[in-house]
Amino acid sequence: MQTVFSVGTDALAYGMVLFVISIGLSVTMGLMRVVNLAHGAFAMIGGYIASYAAHMLGFGYAVAILLAVAGTILISIPIERFLFRRIYGAPELTQVLMTIGITFCVIGIANYVFGPTLKTIPLPDMLRGPVDLGYRSIAAHKLFAIACGVVVAGALWFLIDRTAFGVKLRASVDNAAMAGSLGVRTRIVYAVSSAVAVGLAAFGGIVGAELLPIEPYYALRYMVTFLVVVSVGGAGSIPGALLACLVLGAIDTTGRYLVPEYGEFFFYLAVITIVCLFPNGLLGRKR
Amino acid sequence: MAAEQTISPASKATSGPNWLLRDLAGLAVILVLAGIGYLLFPNNLALLTRITAIALLVLSLDLVTGYCGIATLGHAALFGAGAYAAGIAAAHFGITDPIIMVVIGAIGGAAAGLLAGAIMLRGHGLAQLVLSIAIVYLFHETANKASGWTGGSDGLAGISPDPVFGLFGFDLWGRTAYVFGIVLLVLVFLLLRVLVRSPFGMLCRGIKEDPVRVSAMGASVNATLLRMYVISGAVAGVGGALNAISTQVVGLDSLSFTTSAEALVMLVLGGTGSLYGGLIGTLVFMWFEDFVSSINPFHWLTIVGALLIAVVLFAPSGLYGTAVQLLQRIRDKR
Amino acid sequence: MKTILLSAVAAVALCGSAYADTIKIGVIGPFSGPFAIQGKNFKAGIDAYMALNGNKVGDNDIEIIYRDVPQADPAQSKALGQELVVKEGVQYLAGFYFTPDAMAVTPLLEQANVPLVVMNAATSAIVTKSPYVVRTSFTLWQTSAPMAKVAKERGVKKVITVVSDYGPGVDSEAAFTTTFKAEGGEIVDSIRMPLSTNDFSPIMQRVKDSGADAVFAFLPSGPTTLGFVKAYNDNGLKDAGIQLLAPGDLTQESDLPALGDSALGMLTTFHYAISHDSPENKIFVEAARKAIGNPAELSFPSVGAYDGMHVIYKMIEATGGEQDAQKAVDAVKGMAWESPRGPVSIDPETRHITQNIYLREVAKAEDGSYINKEIATFEKQGDPGLAAAK
Repeated sequence: MQTVFSVGTDALAYGMVLFVISIGLSVTMGLMRVVNLAHGAFAMIGGYIASYAAHMLGFGYAVAILLAVAGTILISIPIERFLFRRIYGAPELTQVLMTIGITFCVIGIANYVFGPTLKTIPLPDMLRGPVDLGYRSIAAHKLFAIACGVVVAGALWFLIDRTAFGVKLRASVDNAAMAGSLGVRTRIVYAVSSAVAVGLAAFGGIVGAELLPIEPYYALRYMVTFLVVVSVGGAGSIPGALLACLVLGAIDTTGRYLVPEYGEFFFYLAVITIVCLFPNGLLGRKR
Repeated sequence: MAAEQTISPASKATSGPNWLLRDLAGLAVILVLAGIGYLLFPNNLALLTRITAIALLVLSLDLVTGYCGIATLGHAALFGAGAYAAGIAAAHFGITDPIIMVVIGAIGGAAAGLLAGAIMLRGHGLAQLVLSIAIVYLFHETANKASGWTGGSDGLAGISPDPVFGLFGFDLWGRTAYVFGIVLLVLVFLLLRVLVRSPFGMLCRGIKEDPVRVSAMGASVNATLLRMYVISGAVAGVGGALNAISTQVVGLDSLSFTTSAEALVMLVLGGTGSLYGGLIGTLVFMWFEDFVSSINPFHWLTIVGALLIAVVLFAPSGLYGTAVQLLQRIRDKR
Repeated sequence: MKTILLSAVAAVALCGSAYADTIKIGVIGPFSGPFAIQGKNFKAGIDAYMALNGNKVGDNDIEIIYRDVPQADPAQSKALGQELVVKEGVQYLAGFYFTPDAMAVTPLLEQANVPLVVMNAATSAIVTKSPYVVRTSFTLWQTSAPMAKVAKERGVKKVITVVSDYGPGVDSEAAFTTTFKAEGGEIVDSIRMPLSTNDFSPIMQRVKDSGADAVFAFLPSGPTTLGFVKAYNDNGLKDAGIQLLAPGDLTQESDLPALGDSALGMLTTFHYAISHDSPENKIFVEAARKAIGNPAELSFPSVGAYDGMHVIYKMIEATGGEQDAQKAVDAVKGMAWESPRGPVSIDPETRHITQNIYLREVAKAEDGSYINKEIATFEKQGDPGLAAAK
């Protein structure tokens, strides 16, 4: 019984880390309709800035996170303005080509500037070391990641479902021309949501760095994971992404506990089954 | 997916009476290019052979992506299945005649295509993309696990194909492999030209434009697509077999997500929905990659990335597609 | 006619260099992509050697040509090897981080009359694929087997092995298991996990449940080792006194700053530590750090490359710059020298390097950096993997 609890906790923690890292992609893919393979690249940029701010400039963890999120958004503005704007509404394969190109560039530049070694983001003492839960101990930073996941999910849901901006965003996505004629400045709405998505990517990159360490190849290494999680959840659906992360986290963790040798089979067969049963994602809207 | 991007010069060709002429012209261009490659770069034949094998993979991808509208990031599963089928036949069963190996590769690829297609066709759009990723990872893991047959991560070595017709051996300089590959490519290309112009090819294109209407006409959408998937698998399998024969080793990378993604990049680079686009994309991407990575083996990835971005910005329909559009515009002006 | 002409061209390209005074060495390795750091270390080792020993052997200038194979890709490796031999006219092939890449090139060697010096790829069987292969790195059998003896000496009775599920991982598991059982120990469980594993908590749970005294682990150097070692700490295995044993791949020096305190006290067996205390190593480390730029990036593949160059220089000396693979390889059989890693020799039969394997503990140096501190030596270890394969 204790083992079940213990594995369950691991599953929850892993699922939430996945959620924090990939939710930004759900926003770009579901709401802005861009197959953004450069999502990992933005997460990586966030990680690098945070690492640099903490190690070289001596800032604390919280400040490093803020700096990194702000810095990544700043970097993304020209990219959004000059590159992404060209592919809104373009065929998906063109988007794939463009965003893979961006990813290659970012990897190359990161390798050149920061070198190929692993970069860490030093945790504050509070988040370091294990915490005793009674039936087992768990890393404090994992609890932090779970908390971050809950906060991000709540905030996003509130932003999209309950605010005026959310209404405008959903309107622009459903019918940009109509929204525009009703006085919604769709360009601004798109620019803001793109910034939110990039900021979430950077935030996720930092919070998840203990599990997925920052190095130049980060941008490609985890791309598949992000893509799978978002699609299984149903692109654009916040509860869907959350559910998908928890389900996939649970499957992956139990698989690795019970049959580590066949972990990969376990995971991808589950993905195939879920996708066949829910072709629009767990909670995705039918198009 | 990608419906809007497609250009279909082939359909224009059918409307004119001179399609045969155009095909012959295309064939001539390929042969001339192949000849130039042979004469100008006699020391680069290994690379040229590799390009030929990958070109077969990209052509096969074009069949499902460009002609049927199925986006996949897992097409290397079919390529690798062909490579391993041919490789295992040679290494474990002593079937070392290169032509038979190619046939076995095609059969292996077609079988993989049947399996992958049956799964892939259960989803649409994004879901389909994820299914393709899952499939290629499952294939990859299976090959890794079955290391007794496939050599696992060490690669399947010990493939030594006989000379072609007992006359032309595969050697260090790779001349036989190159000519062998070009012949295969030309044969496959001709067959595919016939295929995409046939009623069956037209039906596939119709499905891509509007599957509902096609099924209303009484044609079975899924059965047609599955058939195309099997054909595509056979083509990819031929490419895989060529790779196995020319390099005499098969690695897990031939079944990898990376190879699949690269193939898709090459196809979109050249332009989907036309066989020429696939060929041009492969040639340009691989040549460019080899060129920049030999100049700077450490930081070439940035330049390749820049090339991809530039293509999207300046040639949004792919290199071939945009060139055709330009030509069209000039002609219209006249 | 054309073929004759072409063969003539190729023949000139091949043999021409024998009389020219520039000898080219083709080096294939991962210089970009996820393993870029290992390729960078190849280059650092080679640059260091040439900085210390000059870029000339006799009258012959030495030129290195690098070719990039970012991930294990035998087909590309073979195509590049072919290109290096045929087009660039290299007289020696070297490098190779991944086993399949090296295996793919071996069938070329005889026809090309070119020796191959493996600077990293660590599967035992490579040297059997061609008589022209010499290896200056290590094999997983060589580095993993001594750990079983260490475990036994330290009173460990029950061990669980955890390895990445691919060739090197399986090799490492076999080496440890075989040796540990021969020493009378018990293996309670053997886990193989996919290479793509990111979250190791469930694995650690398995380790805990198994009731083992120690865990023997192998993962390829790089990002996943960080997650693994942290999971080991975070899940309370370290506090429970379950010792973590591994070959040195897990604590390569370039990963140590990231691993930090969580790796302290970890025991590994390996052929080289940058902190190795010898005059030869001081000179090497200084030169290699200069070559690589950022001292924190220096790691074990550099020493394989450095010694690989030593072997190649010897070959060039012995052949006087003529292209003669057999003579070159014969010249280095049984050759012994003082490497930065300690005394080494090339086994005349297997053409693999015989060397000391060190037991190391991750410790903090005086300047606050983390090092692999050598605490015991297993002298003159050959490769038990080849014998095991027979």
